[in-house]
Amino acid sequence: MTEKELFTQVGIRPEPSAPAKKPNRLADFPWISVILLGIIVLCCLFAEVLMTKDPGYLDLKNYNVAPNSEFLFGTDTLGRDIFSGIWYGGRISITIGFLATLISTAIAVVYGSVSGIAPAWLDTLMMRFTEIFLSVPGLLLVLFLQAILGEANVITLSIVIGVTSWASIAKVIRTEVRQIRNSEYVVASKCMGGRFFHILGRHLAPNFIASIMFMVVMNVRGAIGSESTLSFMGMGLPLEIISWGSMLSLAEKALMTESWWIILIPGTFLVTLLMCLTNIGNYLRKKANRKESNL
Amino acid sequence: MKRNPFVYYGKKALIFLVSVFVLSVAVFYISRLAPGDPLMSYYGERVEKMSVEEKEAAREKLGLDDPIHIQYVRWLENAAKGDFGISYKYKQDVTEVIGSRIGNTLILSGIGFLLTFLGALGLGILCAWYEDKWPDRILCKGGTFLSCIPEFWLSLVLILVFAVMLHWLPSSGAYDVGHKNDILNRIEHLILPMVIVVLQHLWYYAYMIRNKLLEETRADYVLLGKSKGLSKKQILFGHCLRNILPSYISIMAISVPHVLGGTYIVETVFSYPGIGTLSYESARYHDYNMLMVLCMMTGILVIFCNLIGQIINERIDPRIRANETNEASEVTSG
Repeated sequence: MTEKELFTQVGIRPEPSAPAKKPNRLADFPWISVILLGIIVLCCLFAEVLMTKDPGYLDLKNYNVAPNSEFLFGTDTLGRDIFSGIWYGGRISITIGFLATLISTAIAVVYGSVSGIAPAWLDTLMMRFTEIFLSVPGLLLVLFLQAILGEANVITLSIVIGVTSWASIAKVIRTEVRQIRNSEYVVASKCMGGRFFHILGRHLAPNFIASIMFMVVMNVRGAIGSESTLSFMGMGLPLEIISWGSMLSLAEKALMTESWWIILIPGTFLVTLLMCLTNIGNYLRKKANRKESNL
Repeated sequence: MKRNPFVYYGKKALIFLVSVFVLSVAVFYISRLAPGDPLMSYYGERVEKMSVEEKEAAREKLGLDDPIHIQYVRWLENAAKGDFGISYKYKQDVTEVIGSRIGNTLILSGIGFLLTFLGALGLGILCAWYEDKWPDRILCKGGTFLSCIPEFWLSLVLILVFAVMLHWLPSSGAYDVGHKNDILNRIEHLILPMVIVVLQHLWYYAYMIRNKLLEETRADYVLLGKSKGLSKKQILFGHCLRNILPSYISIMAISVPHVLGGTYIVETVFSYPGIGTLSYESARYHDYNMLMVLCMMTGILVIFCNLIGQIINERIDPRIRANETNEASEVTSG
């Protein structure tokens, strides 16, 4: 019997409903993105197991072959197997993404905290500088620096991308630090002789980490995107170092021979990875914002 | 508080000049301290065969053997006279080379900017109007997806589909040989690059409009308007939109360099003869004079647009005061 029937017949009123359930946090968790990302990263980590060919081997007999049973994703204009290259190259793309983010986050944390703790005039000066820095299109700056530095490898490229993408994180950190720098525990730590890096690691970082998480994820995304753009333009990694970007740098030749697989397959992997990172980033942003508004 | 306009604009002009000066010094030093041989761009492959003395002589002729600060002062003096030196690669006056190409870039980025500006406004309003209904959801999903695609790859896919497979549109250049003055031909060449330039930035700003509008619709005055009997259209366009327009315009002013930066990359992919391909070449081949002028042009534009954005912010919308966080952060951090 339904509640309504019970009420009309016996006069039983439904119990006052239980207090509204907490919104299920896991409901909008980006499962698909996390799983896809996990698969791609795992496959790249264990590239050796998956690879059917040596990704750097120039198989001149089979160049520009469309996907078939031997070359699952075909071969590029130099005769390299794309299937093997995807996993092997993905490793380098992802490494650059993380390394560059590590560098930029490190710079941002130090710069942002210093600016947050510093006296007003220094703070204004430092923030002016970040504003100028932010107004220059990041990719142009990377292009300019890399073009001047000449030949790139994984390390230099990560550094160049890293030093050009810290500003927006630094700004957020500075705002957060400004808010908490006069709290009792920070003052107490200072009084007890805590050094800058001690206060930073112990008291400041745990407070701002939630609010920069999504920017860090977005930074990984940006770095991977920049790497591929640079390598594609012939200013990033050279052809011998296989990454998704340098695989795409053969695209101009591929266009002439209508070899769609050379362009579409590495690009699809790239876009999928970027998409997963964006979704995860957006989820983290929502989460961080939700916390803020509840406080 | 009433400000003296002379002091106000004078201060802005001073900031502008100082920034431009600092920029020029920075670019000059970085480009010259970096490894790489400018003789390569002047003499090409022949450099390898030149003797040490010949190289010395060539350096002296181009004035590359002096200390950098002397080179800088000389550059500044000449620049004041309007002489920016010759391009090592093209063996022509820098201004001439740039002059022959800047038109193409201005057309591409100018129209692209306008389309982005209006398109984003339209899309943003559409999304806000249908908040959380299917048009809004589809646009939001599609927009996020689009913003994940690197510019160059989107260009490649479009070239592959429309130029290589379907043969509808040309894949590169600004016009076919012999069709220099043929407008239709030029438009054909413009379509693909333009689509990329617009698509690349459209969603970002549309999303911003959407969120700002949605924020406005939560305000109390909307409730008042509703209770007065105003229609949804009247409230959204007459009140909400009006409130966000000033900040949108100032954001768009700051976004000019970003749209232009996008054009640079699109130009290289499409081998479109504009400033973008030129800066790419000059940075790559250490064509100092060219690089210097191009960097200064871009840099001045960046600084100028930022100032305009600030002035619009401070003048039109009195709610925003000068020392509050600049809108620039919102543009670039999201």
